[in-house]
Amino acid sequence: MLNKKEKSFNFIKIIPYLSILTLIIVWTIVSSVGNSAIFPSPISVLERMGRLFTEPIQGKNIFGHIWASLQRVLIAMFFATLIGVTLGVMIGWSKRLRLTVGTIFEIIRPIPPIAWLPLVIMWFGIGEFPKVLMVFIGALMPIVVNTYTGIKMVDQKLLDMGKVFNATNKQLLMEIAIPSAVPVILAGVKNGLGVGWMVVLAAEMIGATAGVGFLINRGVEFFDVSLILSGMVSIGVVGALLSVGVDQLEKVVCPWNLKKSD
Amino acid sequence: MKRKKINENVVLPLISILGFLLVWQLICWTGIIPSNKLPAPITVFEAFIFKLTNTAPDGATLIQHILSSLKITVSGLLLGIAVGTPLGLLMGWYKPIDNFVKPLFELIRPIPPIGWIPLTIVWIGVGNEAKIAIITLASFIPCVLNSYAGIRGTSQVLINVAKTFGATNFYTFRKIGIPSSLPMVFAGMRIAMGNSWGTLVAAELLAANMGLGYMITMGRQFGRVDIIVLGMVVIGALGYLFTFIFGKIEQAVVRGQEHVK
Repeated sequence: MLNKKEKSFNFIKIIPYLSILTLIIVWTIVSSVGNSAIFPSPISVLERMGRLFTEPIQGKNIFGHIWASLQRVLIAMFFATLIGVTLGVMIGWSKRLRLTVGTIFEIIRPIPPIAWLPLVIMWFGIGEFPKVLMVFIGALMPIVVNTYTGIKMVDQKLLDMGKVFNATNKQLLMEIAIPSAVPVILAGVKNGLGVGWMVVLAAEMIGATAGVGFLINRGVEFFDVSLILSGMVSIGVVGALLSVGVDQLEKVVCPWNLKKSD
Repeated sequence: MKRKKINENVVLPLISILGFLLVWQLICWTGIIPSNKLPAPITVFEAFIFKLTNTAPDGATLIQHILSSLKITVSGLLLGIAVGTPLGLLMGWYKPIDNFVKPLFELIRPIPPIGWIPLTIVWIGVGNEAKIAIITLASFIPCVLNSYAGIRGTSQVLINVAKTFGATNFYTFRKIGIPSSLPMVFAGMRIAMGNSWGTLVAAELLAANMGLGYMITMGRQFGRVDIIVLGMVVIGALGYLFTFIFGKIEQAVVRGQEHVK
């Protein structure tokens, strides 16, 4: 009886490996049966990634291009976090600002970040700054929204207690509201990072000389599907790593929230 | 006192909107930003009236662009919801399905839908099918994530009650799991809606011959900044409208949740 249970338990544990194996097998079969130019096998994608080291595109191997994209995202994230958190705290804490600045923000917010692309290109061309600006616009929205929500969700009891202990408005904000909003703010940063990582691709696909989006675009121009897939794989890996990175940051910055996030 | 408060709630937003438009208009009139970089609000409104009946400069009226975008978004969104929600629910309830699908899903999830556009173009071409496929993907992911989380959050007490009364696993899934996951499922659909609308614009920026994203791309190529801003305003307004309508539907459907809590 016990033995049987153990056996079925093991089978369920094996399933995840089976599914990945199935994917690889199906992918390989499809590419060998079908047109391998349109549907390259997993191995040829790996080969293509490796070949970027021996014959780099625009002087950069795959890591160079990933770093080019990542750099844009990180610079934009720095400013988006700085400005977004400030703005979010302002409209979350002061009712006047919520009714004025918050209103204007609410009007602009429904415009998807990518829709800014043509305007930004028209204003600033297709250099480095417009790309960073695009990521900034995309990442700013979720950070502001989450900071605002986090500040609004602060436990009223804590604020009342602060008032009982004669805390000034500034102390209430800096020592109670903001620290208790940190997990929500970090969730906003994580969302913003995800959006930013997506927007940078779109910006690079429109016009760039480096970056993962550029690699994919090059793949389309030269009908090099392996290169497109290499780009997509790197996007996925880096995107996943970024998300894990913010989770790790959360563990360091607000360890009390550990249970919730897991 | 109370009356004054109500007034402030209405008046301050109105003043700030008017002030925003006024400052924008003034900036354009005084020429601080030249009119070929930023159109005045009035110019955008004129462009709106013009585009209602005229096809210049991009070959379709505003209504045609909107309908074209809507058609693709709605098809993709419905497909994404139809595939994603049941999949998420099944994954959340049945462990073997979860174990099989989760690794594949986790492989796809970190790749933004926009990253799929070039591959889809190579595979399916630049027609509507390609765009629908991308929108489906964009809405599929949040649907799976949320319905998965929703059904995982089903109260164990309720499940145990059902088991005690002799319900089969499938019956419990249908009568307890699904209803209690509805709020999360709907939240997922709302995210899916936002994602698909944003992704559609990107898809149309890269390849299209009609639609709002195409309209603003053409606006850039013709140097018509008023068309670009008009397109952005229309995209934003429609996005807002969808969220609003969906919120109403959500309220009507998951009303029961309040009683459960």
